[in-house]
Amino acid sequence: MGRIRLENITKNFGGLQVLKGINLEIEEGELVVFVGPSGCGKSTLLRQISGLDKPSSGAILINDRDVTEVSAADRGLAMVFQSYALYPHMTVKLNLAFGLQNAKMPKAEIETRIADAARMLEITPLLSRRPGQLSGGQRQRVAIGRAIVRDPTAFLLDEPLSNLDAELRVSMRAELGALHARLGATMIYVTHDQVEAMTLADRIVVLRGGQIEQVAAPIDLFERPANRFVAGFIGAPSMNFLTPEEAASLNGTPPAGAALIGVRPQHLEPADSGLTLTVTLVEALGTETVIHGEIAGGKRLLLTLPGHRPVQVGGQLTVNADPARLHFFDAQDQRIG
Amino acid sequence: MRSDVKTWIGAGVTAPVRLLAQMADVPLRQWQRLAGRGGMIGFFLLPNMLIFGVFVLVPLGINFAYSVTGGTAVFLPDRSYVGGANFDRLLDCTNHFDPNSCRDDVFWIAVWNTVRFVGLQVTAMTICAMITALILNSKIRARAFWRAVFFFPVLLSPVVVGLIWRWILQRQGLLNYLLYQFDAEQVNWLTERGWAFTAAVGVSVWAHVGFYALILLAGLQAIPRDLYEAAEMDGTKPARAFWRITLPLLWPNLLVVIVLSLIRAVQVFDEVYVLTGGGPGTSTLYLTQYIYEVGFASTLRNSGVASAASLLMGGVLVVLTLLQLGLTRWRDRK
Repeated sequence: MGRIRLENITKNFGGLQVLKGINLEIEEGELVVFVGPSGCGKSTLLRQISGLDKPSSGAILINDRDVTEVSAADRGLAMVFQSYALYPHMTVKLNLAFGLQNAKMPKAEIETRIADAARMLEITPLLSRRPGQLSGGQRQRVAIGRAIVRDPTAFLLDEPLSNLDAELRVSMRAELGALHARLGATMIYVTHDQVEAMTLADRIVVLRGGQIEQVAAPIDLFERPANRFVAGFIGAPSMNFLTPEEAASLNGTPPAGAALIGVRPQHLEPADSGLTLTVTLVEALGTETVIHGEIAGGKRLLLTLPGHRPVQVGGQLTVNADPARLHFFDAQDQRIG
Repeated sequence: MRSDVKTWIGAGVTAPVRLLAQMADVPLRQWQRLAGRGGMIGFFLLPNMLIFGVFVLVPLGINFAYSVTGGTAVFLPDRSYVGGANFDRLLDCTNHFDPNSCRDDVFWIAVWNTVRFVGLQVTAMTICAMITALILNSKIRARAFWRAVFFFPVLLSPVVVGLIWRWILQRQGLLNYLLYQFDAEQVNWLTERGWAFTAAVGVSVWAHVGFYALILLAGLQAIPRDLYEAAEMDGTKPARAFWRITLPLLWPNLLVVIVLSLIRAVQVFDEVYVLTGGGPGTSTLYLTQYIYEVGFASTLRNSGVASAASLLMGGVLVVLTLLQLGLTRWRDRK
């Protein structure tokens, strides 16, 4: 198992700085998820850790050993690619064996490792097939199997579920979680899917513009976002942001210096007094109803109510929130309190 | 103003086309009314079919007719029917591997020269095309420029290729001049048997390598980068990655290159004819040149034997073409 430390990692592509001094410690056996919008540098950061790219400056330490200049193969890591990157001309068994053969591992040991991984991932009947003869989910398992047989210090997973359909993604997500629990291995997981991040992670690293915005456990990110970006990025639908003037009719008093008040759609509920909005759109999802509306001044506001609520488009709705559920940000978009 | 000029120029360029289309519209509509949609297909195919017929099918038939006639007369009605005598003359050998034991020894010299040429040229071509494609696929400076440089010889006429290289390789050519400048021994590149054969192969490879490199380059670019990254993570050394990943995935393109270059090498003529004229002696005399010389260049033109030889060569080409078709379909099915 591996402990990974990133010290002031930067990465430049020509004149463009994609990673701007990343510092991070990942503990043994931890599942850390890198999340952020497209172009935030999460995959680039993973590639620096993997050794497929070299950082422009900074150091990468695995189990306290500086591996910044060490080749990808010698870092003892295994990577699961978004496209699975299975060798299409080799059988599943050969795909699993290829890396071990490169390491000149004895045949018997290779056989044992493949058999164990195949049993764990339930791909034993697929060993003689080629990737082209497998479904998306089966390919995904093989890709994970290829990582497992190497018994790596840590697993790096680059959006491994993004090529699967919604239903399969849910089941594979659960399997990945179970696999992490079973192996107890250090895993770094890149995704843009918040649900994957929230359900799988021990800790989430939120990135924006090549910088870490916040590192925290999923529920802490949701309940105590460090700044406006994290508050808006984590949670679906996104948090509503109001100026103190717009939020004047809500319960509670903003602390001194609050320039922005955030309230999640799930934390707004119909009330006798509060913000009055004109309903512009109603999305009935069965399990919940998402209501889009506009408050005085034209600011858009979203709220999510449990179950089915017969709300009329064009109608008026007054909503309010528990003051404890409000988030306050200063003029620099940093959290207050 | 600028867009007005553009519109005006555009209208000027398209006006004749529009006029022609309008002129053709009325008779074509009437023809479609008479012949129906099926008839229109035939109508549009007719010009091509006529060209194909006049320049391929009819000559093929005439060639077959000539191959069963004898004598030196040019016109078919003046020639005598000899049946398979021309084929007998070509194929009559005590030992086919020894041209001296054959009735038409020059034909068999040309056959074995061609076999040797094909073997060496196709091997050299495939290796050179592969190396070129690998280099052009790597991260080199001015990659587009180098791609154009390697493809440029393909655009040259074979006669021009032959002339350029004759100018370089002849006894008092550029290469010997350079050797002289460096006090090195000069070589008779085109008049020594071994060197002439090597020069013929080399020039042919130089002239065509760009085309085959392009086919392989397309194949290389179709291999996902992820596979190499996965291999890198798996600790694969570059040479092993080439043998275990690149080569198997490039195999379909490689097959096309091998078969196409095989077909082209069997037909080798123009650039080598200009370069060496088939010499010294008969060391670079290949089948097409044999056919040309027997049928057209010698004082006593033997069109019957030349036709029979070209039919035999055609048979080989048909087999190779069918092989290519079969392999392409097999690849598509995979």
